[in-house]
Amino acid sequence: MILSKALSRDLLISVGFVAALALVPIVFPERYFVGQIITFLIWSMVASQWNLLMGHAGVFSLAQMAFFAIGAYTTAMASRHLDLSIWMSLPLAVLVAMVSALIVGAACLRLHGAYVALLTFAIAEVIHVLIITDTYCYTREGGGCLQFFGGATGFSRISDFGFRPFLKGDWILGNYYVVLLAFAFVTLVTMFVMHGRLGLAFRAIRDNLGYASSRGISRFYTQMTVFAISAALTGLAGWAYAGHFRFAGPSLFDFSTLILVLSMVIVGGLGSIWGPYIGAATILIGLEWLKEFGDAKNIGLGLILVLVVLFAPNGLAALFARLFKHIRPGKNNTPKSRT
Amino acid sequence: MDIFLQVMVTGLTLGALYALAATGLALVWGTLGMFNMAHGIFMTVGAYGAFVAVDMFGFPRPFAFVFGLAAGGIIGAATYLFVARFMIGRRNFETNIIVATAGIAILAQDIILKIFGAYPFSQPVVIDGKFSIGDVIVPTQRVLILVGAALLLLGVNILLTRTKLGRAIRATAMSIDAARLMGVRTSRTYLQVIVIAGVLAGAAGIMVSSLSTLSPQMGGNPMLMAFVVCVVAGLGHIGGTGLAAIGLGILEATIQYFLGVQYGFPVMLLLVILFLIWRPNGLFGKQLVVRL
Repeated sequence: MILSKALSRDLLISVGFVAALALVPIVFPERYFVGQIITFLIWSMVASQWNLLMGHAGVFSLAQMAFFAIGAYTTAMASRHLDLSIWMSLPLAVLVAMVSALIVGAACLRLHGAYVALLTFAIAEVIHVLIITDTYCYTREGGGCLQFFGGATGFSRISDFGFRPFLKGDWILGNYYVVLLAFAFVTLVTMFVMHGRLGLAFRAIRDNLGYASSRGISRFYTQMTVFAISAALTGLAGWAYAGHFRFAGPSLFDFSTLILVLSMVIVGGLGSIWGPYIGAATILIGLEWLKEFGDAKNIGLGLILVLVVLFAPNGLAALFARLFKHIRPGKNNTPKSRT
Repeated sequence: MDIFLQVMVTGLTLGALYALAATGLALVWGTLGMFNMAHGIFMTVGAYGAFVAVDMFGFPRPFAFVFGLAAGGIIGAATYLFVARFMIGRRNFETNIIVATAGIAILAQDIILKIFGAYPFSQPVVIDGKFSIGDVIVPTQRVLILVGAALLLLGVNILLTRTKLGRAIRATAMSIDAARLMGVRTSRTYLQVIVIAGVLAGAAGIMVSSLSTLSPQMGGNPMLMAFVVCVVAGLGHIGGTGLAAIGLGILEATIQYFLGVQYGFPVMLLLVILFLIWRPNGLFGKQLVVRL
């Protein structure tokens, strides 16, 4: 396989980025900081998949957080109900997320544009409502009632990656490198998908459906494939979340969680390559900064969203690309964005 | 017979609420092509507006109702003037406006939470009392909701079909360019549409809160329901929206009665999803001739 110039460039950047991240906890070993970087890694995995689906394939799905939740829930339920170790539930989480995506996709991808957004949002909400209104006790542990899907409280204190016994106080480093490995995998797969034949196909469909169809590209199968791939990788991120935070609950379906991740995608730049990573970092730093003003997280998030959409509608990635081009004129460095 | 009556009373009230909430959404979608995620917060603002009018200013209830409607209209106007106005016609409008209005929604919801707290106040703009038809007890408030919603929707209908303003709105919805060429000031039309949507949402908010309580996130579920109604009717189809709302309200009440209250919403959503797989453009939406 001959790597195209763009692909080898982006793979090189990815490897360099991951290598730099691998050094972070060695230079800054403070636990809180390492924890924040883990949060960044998890959310940027989700954001990158959302960007792949929405920005590059043009499928306006709002069910992405549901697949994340499905990954996390599968992990938690396998741990709680089946006593599976977290490593055994990794393939399970990815598989369940992918199969759910195939079902949801079969229902939604025949529709277009805003209808897809509405229907995926409705499906995610159905799952949410069904989980929180469930009151039937599946098991009773120590007098407490636990529903099959965790009910309104969800699963907490599930089994983790298992680094505590032999890394002792440095267990978070173990978590860090596991999540980083997942992050590296997700990023590399994304690069291959984006620059491969599939990427060409779904971008062609996004840009000109009529022309793409007439050249023999099936909209349904192409979008279905990218829907399933992005859901599987999002499920992987959900697994990492459940393993690190030892939690999976209905808050993952919350509208504010959806907006948090969606804002990372939009702030970074929809349809760019590095936007989701920039966006995730920006939003998390912004939230950290907002903590100084007390409980103003949602007010700040709302303001950031409105301001970015108004003043940098193509996101920070496009802004940086323009600045970069300014510094090095003559070379076309604009990322492949919707033009 | 009693069961039928019981289900109809609940179903029609729900349907009337859904119709109020969904009509504004369909209007905004039809004319601006804008998917308004802040619609739920318009309802919340309307409900809190009425609450403030009675509780703090001591307005009589009919005035408080109007005050609530005005509050909904004002936040609608603000959304257009401060945000949406600058985005219309820009690249990626369809996606960016969703994000912007969602931003407004969480911003405003948090502000309301900071001002009023999470305490579930009860809506003072209600009419107590009940009467009975046979063995079925009907609270007067439900009848009031039905009549109020019907009057408001009738008003909007007259506004849209009989007035110059309505003609401008319909023309803009059909073709922005043609409307502009005929001398319609589309930016003003947009503002009018979103204010109407805000007023309707405010009314829906007051009525929803009169059945349960006030809370900063009270607009969430009705908004989702309004989306569902719009999709079932076919996006932007205003006449069909009312019918779909009544139908879905009765369906939800029926499911609630036979399966239990907590299943009403999710089971109905499942049915809607199945329906949309069968008819992707909704009940009244135009069937696409080109199948790509």
